[in-house]
Amino acid sequence: MNLAQQLLNGIVLGHAYALLAIGWTVLLGVARLVNFGHGQMYMLGAFVTWYAGARLGMPYLAAGAMAITAGMVIGYIMQRIMLRLTLKQDLVTIMIVTLGFGYVLQGAAGLVFGSTGQILETPLSRIDIYWGDLWFTWQDIAIIVVAMLFFAALKYVIEHTGVGRIARMVAEDPALALLSGINVKRVYLGVFAFEGAAVALAAVMVAPRTPILTSMGFDEVIITFAVVVLGGIGSIAGSYFAGLALGLFTAFFGAFVAPAYTTAAAFAVLIAVLAIRPRGFAAAPGSR
Amino acid sequence: MNPTMENAIIEARDLTVTYGGNQALAIPHLAVGRGELVGVVGANGAGKSSLVNALLGWSRGAPRVTGTVYLAGEDISRLPTFVRVRKGLLLIPEGKLVFGTISVEDNLLSVGAIEAKGRHLYSIAEIYDLFPRLKERRHHLGAELSGGERQMLGIARALRLGPSALLLDEPSIGLAPRLVSTVLATVRQLADAGLAVLLVEQNVRAAIEVVDRLVLIERGRIVAEGPAAAMRDDPRIAEAYLGAHAA
Ligand SMILES: Nc1ncnc2c1ncn2[C@@H]1O[C@H](COP(=O)(O)OP(=O)(O)O)[C@@H](O)[C@H]1O
Ligand SMILES: [Mg+2]
Repeated sequence: MNLAQQLLNGIVLGHAYALLAIGWTVLLGVARLVNFGHGQMYMLGAFVTWYAGARLGMPYLAAGAMAITAGMVIGYIMQRIMLRLTLKQDLVTIMIVTLGFGYVLQGAAGLVFGSTGQILETPLSRIDIYWGDLWFTWQDIAIIVVAMLFFAALKYVIEHTGVGRIARMVAEDPALALLSGINVKRVYLGVFAFEGAAVALAAVMVAPRTPILTSMGFDEVIITFAVVVLGGIGSIAGSYFAGLALGLFTAFFGAFVAPAYTTAAAFAVLIAVLAIRPRGFAAAPGSR
Repeated sequence: MNPTMENAIIEARDLTVTYGGNQALAIPHLAVGRGELVGVVGANGAGKSSLVNALLGWSRGAPRVTGTVYLAGEDISRLPTFVRVRKGLLLIPEGKLVFGTISVEDNLLSVGAIEAKGRHLYSIAEIYDLFPRLKERRHHLGAELSGGERQMLGIARALRLGPSALLLDEPSIGLAPRLVSTVLATVRQLADAGLAVLLVEQNVRAAIEVVDRLVLIERGRIVAEGPAAAMRDDPRIAEAYLGAHAA
């Protein structure tokens, strides 16, 4: 077992995890919302990309754009349905509604796409690169690059633009934001549309690494949950480092201890970290 | 029903506020004209905050509000809070009135999309002229400000949105006496510049010095109303709030 190879795997996996979780991080940071249908939205993003590419013959970029648009629309519709719960900040009901929504998506995807696994191939995932005894694909490189760019852009938007300032105002105090003339409902709808688009982007980039199944949503939401909590609920930089840490941990634990117990071990670490640092690695923007 | 007072900027008719079955406010009529400063006084729990909040359809609680509110003659009762704000009805609420996790300057950057026809949107430079202290503190977070600075920032944030009517909910609470008169003098200045101002105050002694008219509320009802000079001699005001017996 090669140490450098595991390090590389961990870094790729870490960026994949960070990308997977970023939608939920913003959702939690700005709107104090949760979305337990997140994993199924990831699954749908993967299948839309696969269908557009393999069945409709669309090029990877166009298929990805289609998946991201679909994610955005689904996120928007979901929030439209839940808006009253959101305004009341009724988190328990929102949790159940989003969980239910996820399973509806999974059922619908099963009907449309069938229950057999598929391989999502892209022009990048087909090219293997050997470098010394290291092996990776262009897809892996693309994941790292896209994740870094996306996080940097998002951090910039939140901290230095008008849209970001409005998001931070709503995060801190939605009632006071109304008195500043901010259309808070529209911010909530926008944040959910962003969450849908972001998780679809993650699927477009990451799903080609492994076979895709309509039942894969649950694992994805668990990883997201771990990254978001570890990163310090709503912190963008925190999520990035939490994703990276979890990716490295998973790679090394899987390679040197036992791949079958990786998730269990990751959660053991999560519990230990939270017992020591209840707010994760970083504090949230506008956290109370 | 149409507004009755000719040049009223803000006018309310048959306004009621109910919290879970308990009526906190019932006011048949209230109007504030252009350039007028009206004070609303009354004991704790009288319904002063319920009144100003209801004018915007806003609350941190969940009250039921009925009645009609006009802004410059337009019925705004059905409009959501943020639209009323964009039309020029600004409230500086009681308690938390600035964003604590963003800088003073960010608090002052406007949100755009304001219907500003015929209204004056204060520029950042004008704000800093009016409140030099805020300029010194512009890189600090809202949460780092003192009580007086927060009131200034609250008023400044409202001015940036080009108010035609300004509602202030107890701006003097917790301030040192010298600051109270500074804040109230600023409020007077804004009314003189043409704003319609509704000022909720517990500090009747200080308020009566600057307002044009005073409205006394008890248990959700208007019990006395009139020009400041006349109200100063009203026994209900003099005894209960100015700590002196009417001559
Ligand atoms: N969020 C709320 N929920 C329930 N009752 C409330 C709420 N806010 C105010 N009240 C009640 O309404 C009445 C008027 O309160 P308020 O308008 O805050 O008075 P004031 O501002 O004059 O102190 C009080 O009896 C108060 O208990
Ligand atoms: Mg009050």
